Amino acid sequence: MENILDDYAQQNALRETGTWAKLLLGGGAIAAALVSAGPLAPAFIAASMAAITVGIARIPARFYATLLTIPLSFAVLSAGVILFLSGGGETVWSMPFGGITLAFTTGSVNQAALVLSRTFAGMCALFFIALTTPMVEIFTVLRSLRLPPEFVDLAMLIYHFIFVLIGEALATRNAQEIRQGYAGFGNAVRSFSMLAGTLFVRAWEKGEELILAMDARCYDGIFPTFGGERGISRREGVAVVAYLSVCSALALLSGGIQIF
Amino acid sequence: MHIMEGFLPPAWCLFWFLVSAPFIVYGMYQLRILMREKREALPLLAVAGAFVFVLSSLKLPSVSGSCSHPTGTGLGAILFGPCITSILGLIVLLYQAIFLAHGGLSTLGANVFSMGIAGPVLAWAIYKGGQKAGLNTYLTVFFAATLADLFTYVVTSVQLALAFPAEVGGIATSFAAFAAVFAVTQLPLSIIEGAVIALTFKYIIDVRAEILVKLGVLTDAAVGRLRGVGA
Repeated sequence: MENILDDYAQQNALRETGTWAKLLLGGGAIAAALVSAGPLAPAFIAASMAAITVGIARIPARFYATLLTIPLSFAVLSAGVILFLSGGGETVWSMPFGGITLAFTTGSVNQAALVLSRTFAGMCALFFIALTTPMVEIFTVLRSLRLPPEFVDLAMLIYHFIFVLIGEALATRNAQEIRQGYAGFGNAVRSFSMLAGTLFVRAWEKGEELILAMDARCYDGIFPTFGGERGISRREGVAVVAYLSVCSALALLSGGIQIF
Repeated sequence: MHIMEGFLPPAWCLFWFLVSAPFIVYGMYQLRILMREKREALPLLAVAGAFVFVLSSLKLPSVSGSCSHPTGTGLGAILFGPCITSILGLIVLLYQAIFLAHGGLSTLGANVFSMGIAGPVLAWAIYKGGQKAGLNTYLTVFFAATLADLFTYVVTSVQLALAFPAEVGGIATSFAAFAAVFAVTQLPLSIIEGAVIALTFKYIIDVRAEILVKLGVLTDAAVGRLRGVGA
């Protein structure tokens, strides 16, 4: 929770690049990885996205590496299931295991490799968006997409309150920890519930305070925001189109290249 | 349990977006009506959404040693009903994808369906049913939160199984395999979450029960009775 990616998004080297360009680049890379039939294109997308994030946006490499371990456990477990379940082709390896036979075939290896590489490509592209685009700029995009204003206002207020509540939660948790609140499983469960209950009540009181503040400032149902949005510059456009053409060409042409 | 970015094939991403869409549209409609009727609803819903986000990003005390987080959507559904919770779920999942890299953008539809729609609807139904049947409130909250969590995990396993059916035995076999792999973390997690949410509910009743009365979650009489039991 301490690793809120938005902190990095506020101070990375691509901070001043247009929001649309960054969203198109990340989103396009995700799409290209999804349509690819072979693992080569997603692997290229994962590597290039990581290179752009660390090399051009100047996100610390060590931090980036620890971030990548988050999706690792889910991806490896699920790809493992796919490895043993799907089939097709010849059997590569098999072993009797408590009455059933565990086996994987050339088809299942290909499938698992594809899913694993696609997940990594997707995660690297998502990290690129997360680490380079501050949430505040995404709100202007949400507005220009003509989503309901109630929804955008709610999203903005939730964003604001997340930081308020995280501060409260950390302070409460530290206070509990120095009083041995998390020593032993029973204590931990009780402390955690107390934390959640207090947090809810505190949050509620903040909400009531905000109603007062908004009423005092003649709130009439719409939050005015600065339209800091600008379109894509020519240079950004060329870079995005060039990168995405390489990715999609690779995705369409390298589909036949498989491990087996 | 979130499905990571890039895990689902494109056709299934689209399918789950389409399945979630009607719920989200209906939730938006409800939200608009609510905000027109009660101006004070917006800040209170916002703190509720932020609460769900912060709760789901805190680490639960865990037995299996793996990384486990409460979903918090069960509590949201009990407090605000399933329609509004689906909107809160959508926003929270979007933030989790962008802030914490849990879940993803192409899998957002599937995750919204399992965590923001299926789980909350069940939690809400159990809570309402339990209240009508006159069961113990804390026990009802416990079951609502636990079963909502389990249901979310079952739905996620179904989503994975549908996208990757087994060669022998098809969807049923692959569902069993996915469910078994994740059961190790999800079974204890949902029981702990149920206990935590029930205790959280108790603390809210102890400190500010009038909030729950105002939301129509409990009646005045029920609060008096629960406080009498606690004292």
